[in-house]
Amino acid sequence: MTQISRRDFLKLAREGFLYLSAALATGSLLRFLSYAPASEQKTEFDLGSVDNYPVGSRTSIPEIPALLIHAESGFTALSLTCTHLGCTLEPNNNGFACPCHNSAFDAEGNVTQGPAVKPLRSLRIQITDENTIIAYTD
Amino acid sequence: MRPSFFHHLHPPTIPTEQARWRHTLGAGGTAVFLMLILGMTGILEMFYYIPTPEEAALSVQTITYHVPFGGFIRNLHYWSAQLLLIVSAVHLLRVVFTAAYKSPRRFNYLLGLALFILAILLDFTGYILRWDVDICYPLLTGTNLLKTVPFIGDFLHRLAIGGGEACTNGLLRMYVWHIFGLTLPVIILGIWHAFRVRRDGGIAVPPPQVRTDNARISRNELVRREVLAMFIVGIALILLSIFVPAPIAAAMTEGTTLAGEAKAPWFFLWVQEMLKWGDPFIFGILLPLGILALIALIPYIFPKPADSDIGKWFPKSNRLAQITIGLVSFIVILLTLLANAN
Amino acid sequence: MQTKPTTFHFLLFIVSGLLLATLSLVWWNSSRQPQPIELIPTLTGETEYCLTCHADLPEISASHPVETFGCVSCHGGERLALNADLAHSTMRGGGNPSALSVVETSCGGSNCHSGSEADDRHHIQRVTTSVQSTYAGAISNILFTFGAQPDLTARFGIAAITDENSKTGITALQAFDPLNANHPSVQKFGEECLTCHLHAEPREGEAFARETGCAACHTTGEHNLTTAIPYTQCNACHNRGNYDLRTMTFVERTDHPTQRIDDYYQPIAQFTQCEYTLDCVDCHTRSEVMGDGDIHNDQASIEYVQCKTCHGALEELPLTKTLTDPNDIAFTLAFLNPVVDLKLGDTILITEKGEPLWNTKVLPDGTYEMIGKATKQYFTFKPVMGTACEQKPDEQESHYCHECHAVEK
Repeated sequence: MTQISRRDFLKLAREGFLYLSAALATGSLLRFLSYAPASEQKTEFDLGSVDNYPVGSRTSIPEIPALLIHAESGFTALSLTCTHLGCTLEPNNNGFACPCHNSAFDAEGNVTQGPAVKPLRSLRIQITDENTIIAYTD
Repeated sequence: MRPSFFHHLHPPTIPTEQARWRHTLGAGGTAVFLMLILGMTGILEMFYYIPTPEEAALSVQTITYHVPFGGFIRNLHYWSAQLLLIVSAVHLLRVVFTAAYKSPRRFNYLLGLALFILAILLDFTGYILRWDVDICYPLLTGTNLLKTVPFIGDFLHRLAIGGGEACTNGLLRMYVWHIFGLTLPVIILGIWHAFRVRRDGGIAVPPPQVRTDNARISRNELVRREVLAMFIVGIALILLSIFVPAPIAAAMTEGTTLAGEAKAPWFFLWVQEMLKWGDPFIFGILLPLGILALIALIPYIFPKPADSDIGKWFPKSNRLAQITIGLVSFIVILLTLLANAN
Repeated sequence: MQTKPTTFHFLLFIVSGLLLATLSLVWWNSSRQPQPIELIPTLTGETEYCLTCHADLPEISASHPVETFGCVSCHGGERLALNADLAHSTMRGGGNPSALSVVETSCGGSNCHSGSEADDRHHIQRVTTSVQSTYAGAISNILFTFGAQPDLTARFGIAAITDENSKTGITALQAFDPLNANHPSVQKFGEECLTCHLHAEPREGEAFARETGCAACHTTGEHNLTTAIPYTQCNACHNRGNYDLRTMTFVERTDHPTQRIDDYYQPIAQFTQCEYTLDCVDCHTRSEVMGDGDIHNDQASIEYVQCKTCHGALEELPLTKTLTDPNDIAFTLAFLNPVVDLKLGDTILITEKGEPLWNTKVLPDGTYEMIGKATKQYFTFKPVMGTACEQKPDEQESHYCHECHAVEK
């Protein structure tokens, strides 16, 4: 067994104490700073009656933001939030362009120009018994 | 080992007499310590405080009840602020009772007095920032008092809260005064005050030629004593903050603004009591200002204390100053007790 | 002059020790507090923490789910405070937000219970003008009796109230202040006999237990609101003793009623079978009990349901209505107290003012059924027409029926 002197032991204890309290204080400070008041993020959007969106229509829903597409095969909703850093896309001739960093997507949401890498998200759509459309962003 | 930064802020040695507890009461140093705590806890509170009339009281409740350690931080801020006023008053009394204000320290005496006034105003504005039902009457009466000043009353009122209804408009200015308009002068005057202490030859003791005790202590010993004082005050503060929560009341909503506490915060109770006597300008402004002027003029108009008396408790040569400040303190305390009793 | 390392280390040691002790103390202190439970009601979207302590309260009613309404939209209070005193300091009406002094801010609101008469959402207007809340009839009777007013027209209510559009001709009542009265009996009346209207705190004693305001009727247990109101709830006021007009005092019953027929009803009163089997709300309609939005002179001028409302008379059947409109108020009422499964096309009894007796149904054989609103009991009954009843056509008020049909006690 290695002998440690009294002096070394005290040094060790003192420094341990010091680092422990510093670590705890920093931890407490970070806990204090990282509190976020509870808030409700809206994830459910009532888009109104099915009748408002005839077959073939592509309707922009700014409050989400998303594009509601009524194709022959049914309803789909394309998120208009850029997959790069979250700006809202603007429609152009053959798709969407991002005003922030110039990413571009085609009408189906595939990337046609970087810096975005991922295609646009499709939102979950539900049609209720009363024939209203609900879009979910979660 | 070379001295640390903290040690380096101190002179290498100082006369033993200047560092005796029974001489200084540790009041000035404690005030610095409290102001450091106030600065740090204040900055932390700013991360959550929202200075809008709708959100202010709610954000105080959020800090108090929901932010981890938030209640403790707020209590520390509150109790440090209350203690600062007491410690500052003790400091002022010590300086007068030991004749420490004598030239060349006359100017620094005024700086200290200005710091005391700023501390009171900071305490008041901080109290207002709670923006709950209990702050409305004190804010309303306090700012209406400014309006009674002849010629410049409205100007002062606008300066304080930007005009308009106190309890609906006053918050933004109270906030800026508290965080910036009063704090910045405290920092500048505080550093100046400390610098002048050293420039004027340290804490007041008789000049070397009439000094009886020529012993000196090292900065190590001085720092040790300072840390001990901080330790004691720190423990008191921590215990207070853990077990005695700072006051809080319901948020102001439409129709409840004038439903709260009609009593002034404790450090203004004496003024509130005098306001019952009559004309608000005379009793709420002139009289307190007169008392303040009297205290400020102590080094200038009263008989000069003897050099050999400087730094001694209750020397004969400044009896008049002692009686004056003693009487003022007695009256203020008496009025406070009276106001608190009814 | 150099700093001795030991001193410096000692100071660091002290400071870190103090920090450690503080953090553990604060941590210990915060661990004693309950873990906050947050709720974001969908109606307000504003976080509240009431459930931290009140999680075990029963849901107040199916129409007021806590996820939607939360607590604060009705009860008020400081929604973020975790200190009981502060949290409760701004509650509306103490524990009862339906107290009439605060009802407008709690139960009220145009989407809630102070909407328009056209939408039938003027509940607060109805309650505050109703005789149950104004006590106008009793007050005018006393004032008239002791010569303080020339007739029996209501001039005073418990609280001052005006209704410019009142169809009864009474557009305003002044607040009744018995201290202003000259006659000692009127003063005594004020002291002793004002404990039964909706503003008044109940008398002491379990048998009088009720709340004030809306909750006086609609709260039948711990933290609930219901339209299934049993007769015992009504009896907290309506069968708890009598006024002694000589001494102008209220004489409480001292017995504890257990059997309904023998113990509850006063000896001189006559009752038929249905009056002591059904609950009051099975026959007495919303406008009779809660008011119709107009200021009425007294109880008699708003109460109108009689035996014949359900049973008809010898030469006429009771009024009925076939439900063809899905928005008919009958469906709403049946939804709020789902004791019957009301469908479009059902025929129900209605009163002469057109109020639906939605818990009744006309059966194919011409008889009627009724489901008890509070008891869910099933009853069938027949019309008078075609029976051996010999009552004269112009004597159809209930008291004539009592002469033959009162239950022997």
